[in-house]
Amino acid sequence: MEKTNLKYRAKVTHIGELVTEFIDAGILVFFGEQAPQELRDFSIIHDGKELKADLEKGDVLYLDHVPYEILSIGPVTNQNFANLGHLVVKFNGALEPEMPGDVTVANQKPHDVKIGSVIEIVSGQAPEEQGG
Amino acid sequence: MSDYKKLVIKAGPGGWGGPLTIEPKDGRIIASVTGGGIHPIAQRIADLTGGTAIDGFNSTRPFDQLAAVVIDCGGTARIGVYPMKKVPTIDIYPTKPAGPLFRFITPQYFVSGVRVEDLG
Repeated sequence: MEKTNLKYRAKVTHIGELVTEFIDAGILVFFGEQAPQELRDFSIIHDGKELKADLEKGDVLYLDHVPYEILSIGPVTNQNFANLGHLVVKFNGALEPEMPGDVTVANQKPHDVKIGSVIEIVSGQAPEEQGG
Repeated sequence: MSDYKKLVIKAGPGGWGGPLTIEPKDGRIIASVTGGGIHPIAQRIADLTGGTAIDGFNSTRPFDQLAAVVIDCGGTARIGVYPMKKVPTIDIYPTKPAGPLFRFITPQYFVSGVRVEDLG
């Protein structure tokens, strides 16, 4: 019996100058390391390489072990994530994505992501883990 | 020297902004900042204007060398940054201005929902 079903793991390597503006809007924008310079200004860059399975509603995103259940996923989210490491997480509690690339989680202040922060996404099928 | 032609790009169904006039003078580039290499729309714009299309994720150019960028933005981040830097931006999805960079997205620099039929 598997304890976790890990779909993605990455470490943050860079935080753009404009990321705080996006955090104020309740949005975290992630891109993989091949992102060109102009996108790095507002992005959290990470070293993730492989999306093992498509993201689904009910999966859990962990930022430094802080869990955020995924409430909805847009129709282009998985393709952008798999191709570009690009994820747009909106902390707005929406049960439907506003934009086709969105991932939504509960309405709350995003975790303070730093260089070296760990990003993990786990299948919603996993049993709950205590502690951390 | 090649001849460069002007191309007018209008918004597609459900799209916003534009029309943009693209003219890749002085060897300017059409960058495809999309997943999966050079998007067919970027290539078509290059073909119609005499410009050159590049994969924006595997090569980069200074902004003053960009005639236009083609993006497949889900509507939050890329749609702001290129108009903010005054680079004509073509979004293949019918996205409307949104997100923290909303104030930079103007019809002079952004057009969305563009299909091959909306070129020229």
